[in-house]
Amino acid sequence: MKFYKPKNLTELFQISEKIAGKKYFLAGGTDINVQIKKKMITDEPIIYINHLEELQGIRETDESIIIGSLCSYQELLNSPLIAKYLPFFRASLVNFASPLLQTMATIGGNIANGSPTADVTPLLLVLDAQIILMAKSKMRHIPLRDFFTGYKQFNLKKNEIIGGVQITKNAETGYKTFYKKVGSRKALTIAKVALAGLKNSEEYKLAVGSLNEYPRRLSKIEEYLASTNTPESVKLEELLKQEITPISDMRSDKDYRFQVCLNLLLEFIQI
Amino acid sequence: MKKVRKFDAVPKLNGSYKFLDDYTRPNLLYGGFLYAKFHHGKLKQIKFPKKFSKDEFTIVSYKDILGENIVPEPENDQPFLVEQEVMHYGQIILGIAHPNKKKLKQFIDNIEVEYEEMPAITDIEECLSDENNVFGRVLEIKHPAEIGNTSHLIHTKRIYRTPHQEQAYLETQAMLAEYDKEKKEIFVLGTMQCPFFVKSALDAIFGDTIHNSVVETSEGIGGGFGGKEDFPNIIAGITALLAYKSGRPVKTVLDREDDIQITTKRHPSRVEVESYTDPITHKIRKLNIDYRLDAGAFQTLSPVVLSRGVLHASSGYAVEDCYIKGRLFRSNTPSNGAFRGFGAPQALFAIESHIDNVAAQLGIDPYTLRKKNILKIGKEFPTSQPIIENHLEDCLEKVIEISDYHEKYREYKQWNLEHKVKKGIGLSLGLHGGGYTGNGEKILNSKIKLVIEKNADINIYVANTDMGQGAHTTLAQMVDEAIEHPHNKTRVVIPNTNKAPNSGPTVASRTIYIVGNMLRNLIKEVKKELGFDNLETYVKAHQADFPREFRSLFKPDPQAIFDDETYKGVAYKDYSWAACVVEITYDPTTYEINLEKCWNVLDIGETVNPEIARGQVEGGVVQALGWGLSEFFYKKGFGRKQGFTDYTMLTSRDIPELNIEFIHTDNPIPKGLGEIPMDYPAPALRNAFLNATGVGIDEIPLTPEKIFANLEEK
Repeated sequence: MKFYKPKNLTELFQISEKIAGKKYFLAGGTDINVQIKKKMITDEPIIYINHLEELQGIRETDESIIIGSLCSYQELLNSPLIAKYLPFFRASLVNFASPLLQTMATIGGNIANGSPTADVTPLLLVLDAQIILMAKSKMRHIPLRDFFTGYKQFNLKKNEIIGGVQITKNAETGYKTFYKKVGSRKALTIAKVALAGLKNSEEYKLAVGSLNEYPRRLSKIEEYLASTNTPESVKLEELLKQEITPISDMRSDKDYRFQVCLNLLLEFIQI
Repeated sequence: MKKVRKFDAVPKLNGSYKFLDDYTRPNLLYGGFLYAKFHHGKLKQIKFPKKFSKDEFTIVSYKDILGENIVPEPENDQPFLVEQEVMHYGQIILGIAHPNKKKLKQFIDNIEVEYEEMPAITDIEECLSDENNVFGRVLEIKHPAEIGNTSHLIHTKRIYRTPHQEQAYLETQAMLAEYDKEKKEIFVLGTMQCPFFVKSALDAIFGDTIHNSVVETSEGIGGGFGGKEDFPNIIAGITALLAYKSGRPVKTVLDREDDIQITTKRHPSRVEVESYTDPITHKIRKLNIDYRLDAGAFQTLSPVVLSRGVLHASSGYAVEDCYIKGRLFRSNTPSNGAFRGFGAPQALFAIESHIDNVAAQLGIDPYTLRKKNILKIGKEFPTSQPIIENHLEDCLEKVIEISDYHEKYREYKQWNLEHKVKKGIGLSLGLHGGGYTGNGEKILNSKIKLVIEKNADINIYVANTDMGQGAHTTLAQMVDEAIEHPHNKTRVVIPNTNKAPNSGPTVASRTIYIVGNMLRNLIKEVKKELGFDNLETYVKAHQADFPREFRSLFKPDPQAIFDDETYKGVAYKDYSWAACVVEITYDPTTYEINLEKCWNVLDIGETVNPEIARGQVEGGVVQALGWGLSEFFYKKGFGRKQGFTDYTMLTSRDIPELNIEFIHTDNPIPKGLGEIPMDYPAPALRNAFLNATGVGIDEIPLTPEKIFANLEEK
């Protein structure tokens, strides 16, 4: 296993280009170190990036908040900008993982790991976050909802990295908000079901975690809810069956996951 | 009875205290195990990886064992190392050592084991429902009475199930072994509860080859909870064998993952309870209990767990006609072993849940049914042991009072009619016999030693370990308080089998109750014999007499007789008593239980160090509530868990507000404390859920998935 530590972003892209095969970018290490220990990663080169200043920090433009991909959860929680513009987002982060993990885990790493259970993704999805993808000489923004294409599959070009996340300052403004993560306990737990939602008089935004191969928006349900004032639970159940594919595993059961998702959806509708 | 800070608090906080992996030796080898990754089968061939030079490694198989390939246990049926047939996943086949830890791991990971697979029982329900799997002695407690026609009585028959539980000590199992060729002596340093058990394991595995074996504990022991009662025997035996063969010191430290997969767990149980209750007097007239434990592949110490289980199976209730049967069932999983409570939590979960089921059937409140049937003076245990105090009833009354149980019971009934999120309040009783069962303490025949030094320091020599529970602080306190000696001049010397006499294992809530009382009595006798008022003054005046050693032996109570054949008589001379109320809320949206409050009233006799006693209750209650709410180790179709990612114990966020009160602390004897807080909270939680929802689930843990599945069925 080869290990690289680039001096800056330019060097990072130089190193990255030279490696033809699969490689890993190591940020906080809260997922990768576990995968190395479990031998899920054995020989692939590791490029350490957690020290790169270009990918750190939280800043604002006139309309948006830009979160560097190396921003840790603790930084998000401590940020006055996040507290000012995205209070719902901030409040939802409080119960993620544990203080130890919050200190190390990064927002970019959480997205890049591509886990169906990633805590932050459903929230970013309903906030219509854009993901900033950086290459050697180019940068592009795409909606986060278009970033995931399958289980640990991404809309990512060769030698592109996640530079950060952009959320508009008014992403939460005027919306009623909902976030519920159901785990095996209250903290330091992997989500069994997660549902994030925003709504106003015109539209609904809904995203789920741990219920599909990757976190995603429930667009059919969003459309249905926007089209009716009296949603029927039978119809919701039918649509939900088309939108989510829960599984049974060591942590939970598929019937339970489905029912809880439906219950949370009904709760969200009533707020 | 006073607050004394634990002597190890500061060195643990500043990191200077040494746990096993902090020790090293020149020329050290690291030890590791090749263990079976299948459940049952005959070994055919072991293929070592070609890319390593095998000669660099020290390897021991059963053929290298110089004495017997049997781990000393209450039932001697478990080998140190597999001979031909693997009986369970995780059974150790080879011990391997190498100077480089990483290389050792790579080598072991690349060994291929060829085997012929054989049928295996790995499912708990399959194990416990098939009577063909019974092995070992069947225990029976018979307390027959002619109660006449039962047709007017309320008949209740239910099956209660509890899962495995992982001890989850902070420090994994670890041993360091050295062989002194000149003296033909094996020295083992380790993290353990029972140094003399480890010594007997060394003596067994080496036979006459060695002249002596010495076992000492590391300075710090990072938790035990029963998990370091017997498993250390195996690690020590194999590590010592590696040291003998290589001629170099060997240190084996289990990875968390290996520790979780190959070491002992709490026995899963299936307990059938059948009762006949008078609908008018609310007396339980007849009780039949069929108590079953999944012992794993070997019996090891399970017969003793079974014994404590049946002896606690009727909890704190007097029943005229009572029959209790206990059996061990075999499966192809690692032997289950000691865990705080030792069979009692499983027994109490069944009977304390059953009481609430009966109360629901009778349409009365669970308090009234308990009150009507509670053990008190004039009543007796199913072994015919008479009850000599009404302290259990005192615990019950006190917990009812401080939790405001009656008022809440009424209030929540109304609340639940009007609200989506439900509230529930549950009750349970608990009892735990202190020390070894029956004639166990008599047979153990514990010995203790004190040395009064020239500077009037008192050094206490016992084999009982401080694994974080505070035993050494409390033992020292019992000695210095008895003669009003300064606390900083009394200490327990780190247990070493060459220096300390065998005061028995650190198990069975016996350390303070048995060993502490022996120490206190000894120092009082010393005071009387020497005739001093102040030890320091006396020692100064009689310098020539010191250092001086004092010893004593356990003195059994001649009145306390137990017949091991008929299971009649005094099973435990002193019982600790408890009553508990758990309050929860239940959210039907997610099927989750939220632990709100937990009240505990205990009679453990004198509380030598109230803060340490409180700490024991807090820890035990949290461990019990985790067992009841979220911890499970095996799931049908998905196998056994591999680590702490999935094995979910409670965190500080999940723990309810805890209220703890001790009563009858004027009792001159501190009774058993360590285990009772683990015994009773789980059924109180289960009963609180029944109270909140009207649904009685007879199986723990009460995960949201289990609650959902139960509601779907109904």
